[in-house]
Amino acid sequence: MKLIIGGYCSGKRRFARQLYPNGYWLSAYEGKYLKDWPTESSAPSPLIIEGWERWIEADLMGNYDVKQLRTEYANQLDTYLAHEQASQQPICLILLEIGRGIVPIEAKQRALRDLNGWLSQDAAERCDEVFYAWNGLVRPIKTIG
Amino acid sequence: MLTFISGGVRSGKSRLAEQLAEQDAETRGGALFYLATAATPQESEMQARIRWHQQDRGKAWITLEEPIDLNAVLPRLQANSTLLLDCLTLWSSQVMFASDFSPKEAIEELDAFIQALTDQQIHLIIVSNDINECLPPNTPELLNYVRFLQCLHQCLTAQADHVIQMLGGCAYDWKGG
Repeated sequence: MKLIIGGYCSGKRRFARQLYPNGYWLSAYEGKYLKDWPTESSAPSPLIIEGWERWIEADLMGNYDVKQLRTEYANQLDTYLAHEQASQQPICLILLEIGRGIVPIEAKQRALRDLNGWLSQDAAERCDEVFYAWNGLVRPIKTIG
Repeated sequence: MLTFISGGVRSGKSRLAEQLAEQDAETRGGALFYLATAATPQESEMQARIRWHQQDRGKAWITLEEPIDLNAVLPRLQANSTLLLDCLTLWSSQVMFASDFSPKEAIEELDAFIQALTDQQIHLIIVSNDINECLPPNTPELLNYVRFLQCLHQCLTAQADHVIQMLGGCAYDWKGG
């Protein structure tokens, strides 16, 4: 599994398209839900998943438990990893870096940053390659071996 | 020659940019220009801040000021010189919120400026700020601004000879160097 992480408009998608020109995109920005998977990705192609902060935001509507949500997302990552190994089709996660600003006043915004940061750590731990996108350039920050 | 330096607030961008500019001017024996993009501020605190910067830079520098129309300074430059533009973030915000330029026209303006400097063998060093690694702003105007600045950054990193990211005073060379 691969992870591409970077700030807003930093070139993450372009890099993912270069890696997997024929990949299937499970994108929150196109109104897709995490639960759409794996039914929508039944075609044998690489899977690219993006828009996590939108899904996290949706999970923070109403009552929430951040620790429990972190566990749920980590479990989801384990499911992807197992699916990748079983299907022999690569999975690429795209995550938005949102942790470098000032601490937000709203509790939900703080929870969003926390969960997105934990998700990034949990994803990076499970991925064998991690790339950092910065102003249109990309470099590996974790490599195989 | 084009050098692009970006990073967070107080990460050492300006200091490194000034060092690189001074070294370049000394090596090539050309003049040393500083293009300040800040519009003349009303607040005394901002005026004092500008004075500190000018004093820090020393006498070797020729300071030019232009908040929006970069190409207006071209007649005042010399061939084979070094020009430090500090900073792109201010310029882009003034273009976006206090000028008649559309984002597309602003990019064309910057491209024309870079081309004119290249033609005169002027080494351009651009300093900017990374403001895209936090929660995206929740108003369309500010989101458009971040998008515009990122577009400028990506155009610059694609064509720059030397690209540097600053973090805690340390420089990471993405390209060249």
